[in-house]
Amino acid sequence: MQIPQDLIETAALKLKSVQSEAEFFQLRAQYLGKKSFVVTAFSKLRNLQSDEKVNAAKELNLLKNNLTKLFEISIEDIESKGDHKKLDVTLPADPFLVGSEHPITKISQKIINYFTPLNYQIFSGNEIETDFYNFEALNFPENHPARQMHDTFYLNSSSKSEYLLRTHTSNTQVHAMLDEDLPLYMLSPGRVFRCDSDTTHLPMFTQIEGLVVDEDVTFGDLKGVLIDFLEDFFNEKMEVRFRPSYFPFTEPSAEVDIKFGKQGWLEILGCGMVHPNVLNGCNIDTKKFRGFAFGMGVERLAMLYYGVTDIREFYSSNLDFLNQFPS
Amino acid sequence: MKIQYSYLKNFLNTNLSQKKLSDVFTQVGFECEIEGGLIEFDITPNRGDALSLRGLEREFNAYQLKKPSKKLETSPLKLIQDKKIINQIDGSGCGNYHLMLVKDLQKIKNLDSKKRSFIESAGIPLINPLVDLGNYVMLEIGAPMHVFDLEKLALPINVLFPQEKHNPVTVIGGDVKDILSSSLTIQDQSGIQAIAGIIGSEVSSVSSNTSSIAVEAAFFRPEVIVNQARKYGLATDASHRFERGVDPELQQTALERYLFLLDQIAEYDSVELYHSYTHKTQKKNVKLDVARFNKFSGLSLKASKAILILKNLGFKVHTRSEKNVTFKIPSHRFDISLEEDLYEELLRSYGYDNIPISKPKAGPIVNNKQNNALNNLRLGLVHSGFKELMHMPFVSRDSFHQLNSNNWKPAELHNPINENEPLLRGSLFRSLFAAVNSNVKKGYTSIKIFEAGNVFKKEKSGFNQSLHLSGMIYHHEPQQTWSQKELTYDFFSLKGEISKLLQTLGMQNIELQKASSLMPFNKNALDIFIGKQKIGVMGEIDLSVTEKLVKKQAYGFVIYPEKISLSSVNPKIVKTSKFPLSTRDINIVLDKSISYEEVERSISQGAIKHLVSFNLINTFEGKNIPKDSFSMTLRFTFQSNTKSLLESEINRSMQMTLKLLEKRLNAKIRS
Repeated sequence: MQIPQDLIETAALKLKSVQSEAEFFQLRAQYLGKKSFVVTAFSKLRNLQSDEKVNAAKELNLLKNNLTKLFEISIEDIESKGDHKKLDVTLPADPFLVGSEHPITKISQKIINYFTPLNYQIFSGNEIETDFYNFEALNFPENHPARQMHDTFYLNSSSKSEYLLRTHTSNTQVHAMLDEDLPLYMLSPGRVFRCDSDTTHLPMFTQIEGLVVDEDVTFGDLKGVLIDFLEDFFNEKMEVRFRPSYFPFTEPSAEVDIKFGKQGWLEILGCGMVHPNVLNGCNIDTKKFRGFAFGMGVERLAMLYYGVTDIREFYSSNLDFLNQFPS
Repeated sequence: MKIQYSYLKNFLNTNLSQKKLSDVFTQVGFECEIEGGLIEFDITPNRGDALSLRGLEREFNAYQLKKPSKKLETSPLKLIQDKKIINQIDGSGCGNYHLMLVKDLQKIKNLDSKKRSFIESAGIPLINPLVDLGNYVMLEIGAPMHVFDLEKLALPINVLFPQEKHNPVTVIGGDVKDILSSSLTIQDQSGIQAIAGIIGSEVSSVSSNTSSIAVEAAFFRPEVIVNQARKYGLATDASHRFERGVDPELQQTALERYLFLLDQIAEYDSVELYHSYTHKTQKKNVKLDVARFNKFSGLSLKASKAILILKNLGFKVHTRSEKNVTFKIPSHRFDISLEEDLYEELLRSYGYDNIPISKPKAGPIVNNKQNNALNNLRLGLVHSGFKELMHMPFVSRDSFHQLNSNNWKPAELHNPINENEPLLRGSLFRSLFAAVNSNVKKGYTSIKIFEAGNVFKKEKSGFNQSLHLSGMIYHHEPQQTWSQKELTYDFFSLKGEISKLLQTLGMQNIELQKASSLMPFNKNALDIFIGKQKIGVMGEIDLSVTEKLVKKQAYGFVIYPEKISLSSVNPKIVKTSKFPLSTRDINIVLDKSISYEEVERSISQGAIKHLVSFNLINTFEGKNIPKDSFSMTLRFTFQSNTKSLLESEINRSMQMTLKLLEKRLNAKIRS
């Protein structure tokens, strides 16, 4: 009978790398179990000649004893590794709460994160604003029907200027154009207010406005940055459509639609080249500088991005709803 | 504006399907929605000229590069000026006034069924063939008209603003309206017969007995019509058009078209057309520099192509030089006055989608000025298990006064949506209380929430807004664990949580001081300072100001992120000691009136040699401690930068400490 000489050595080697009791028992079965070499070899002894049988039996017994000893020492080692009370580690953890940012914060941040590497500065601006910054400087003449598109909240005030809750973040454009140096690349995220409330409109919502004033800015630049932004936002190639529209502060003005699954074309943002009246009003040399601006509703983007169907959920403080947005 | 597809299709002489036709109009800037057999056009406020079949036709033809359509059939009339018919018109409100008198009408028939159905589906009720015809012509060519019963009018007509303060008039439909002096009116010798461009009076309205009519077509200036209809709650199809602007040269044509169609449904004895102008409209010319346009758009359009596009839209070439083309602007395009307006027309026709795209450009490198701590604080809170919430800023007077001191004047809305919530919030806590309440009702037992947003204040001149970050921790019942571990949240948990947050965000020199009273906290509250700047408050919520929304002890904080500037100054790093630390514990007995802050201050000010830090291990009162006193166990840690400290050196420092506490705080050592 051929008895492998290195059996003990390989067993010892393998034992060294054993990590758990389960692995240990598996290994022991391999060397001392029913199908192991040692056990099967004993059963084959009766086929041998008697003197050969005696020798082989001796050798096998020695081998079996050594292996058994080896495994006995080893299990003691494994058991004593960390002298600890055994835990049912599958029991529940101590209670903890999971935090998260509001989905509107997350989407705003996602938008901002596209534009900051392009060096757009962030301005949040005033939520209570004067008529001048919200309308007049943006080429909304007094008594113009365009003002009726904005259902405006007015504030009771004894002062001469008329105060209102801004109806769009475009007011920040005017402040920035008056205060900052050119060229200007800016983004203005914030809350805006419209005196309007039904299942699809809220009296408060979030907008992000972008403005670029630079030399040689073209409508093609505007299209380029917006298409790139939308593809970055939705992380896929988008079908994007620009169609003529009207905003008093841009000329030409456009609405941007995206093709969104089964829903077809969806209006996603408004944009245009800054109206010369607006630039002139902010003392910008229109022979040298041109600009473009765009604005988008964060709730709308968030609804598309997450598949939220009721805009009111965002402001409901319903933790069942908010728990679905991981940080 | 709702238009029947079948009628529009015939008018435009096209075979395009309803869907395709809608797409074409959407592409050129008139957003369409299909509603059964109708197309609803969302016409932007600058394009009042498109609020008619004729207006839509102009756009459709230009889009197809077809020549402008032929004129509609009319029955031409001679214009007569006569002060006995139209006497005086106020030029500040009215550019021209036309009145067509049609006498002794007979055999008046209804309009044909197609026209009737077209009018009705546009949302205009059928009233009387003579009135319906006026409405039809308005929908067809865009000039609003009014039909008076001529026999009820005491001519001549004056178009004036009322002089009297109160001018009650019964308008069509029977309502009595008090006409304001800011409203332009049509007056006859007996009084006001119509609010210009909005509605006529009941008295002079057409009835089934009417046999002679006066049909009015006029140009009322948009600025005197806008907002007037709203004041009376009377937004009419006419006022909608006048507010946006009506072609000031259309009135005669409109009346002649009315007459042409009238011939088909009635007989009459005589017709005369009277008019009065306050001014003829000036023809506008606008210059186009094609090279400049190409720079603006990123296109390379040839001048000939630009001219072709604009001609199709009704613009005529006035003069042409090498560099510029000057166009005559048609009277209906009162929205065009700048070169950029022509750019829009060119781009619209060329197709926005056909403009080539450039790669995104970056601006010059700038330091972002708005570097307040909000984003960092927000993330810190999220990592501590807080949920961010957002709420509307509108609050009731009661809530406002519960949470704001009397010298905080509220910002009040003139036109709130909900009359019970006319104020803008002066604190974020009202919403947080409501959020706790609604989520406890849903079964939540542990809640950590925060909100960031502006709060508002009225000031002497104007208003103030400031950014608050407020949060709440609420455990409806003590948290139970299977292992019987006690997990209670108390004031000191809050103190730890907020201190950890601020320090983790790198805020140094944070000082906490007993709070000067500030709602919504009770007396167990601390003001948070960085240096001398107060950056927030934290403490136990005073349940009495929560309007019963919060039922059990809760904790909260408010931080003012705008008051924190995150400096990027590198800290000065000192060499750390490699010698061993030694600790000593002592027990002292103190009067109960002494706060831990005083102990801390006394020791810190003592400048004890080798003392690195000390902390409170335990407090005790009761057995063996005099009444009105308590004991404190303090642990002191000593270390030197230069050597291992000797036992005698440590003892000396401990002695110093004890002496200091004895002297300053009358502390007694407890063995």
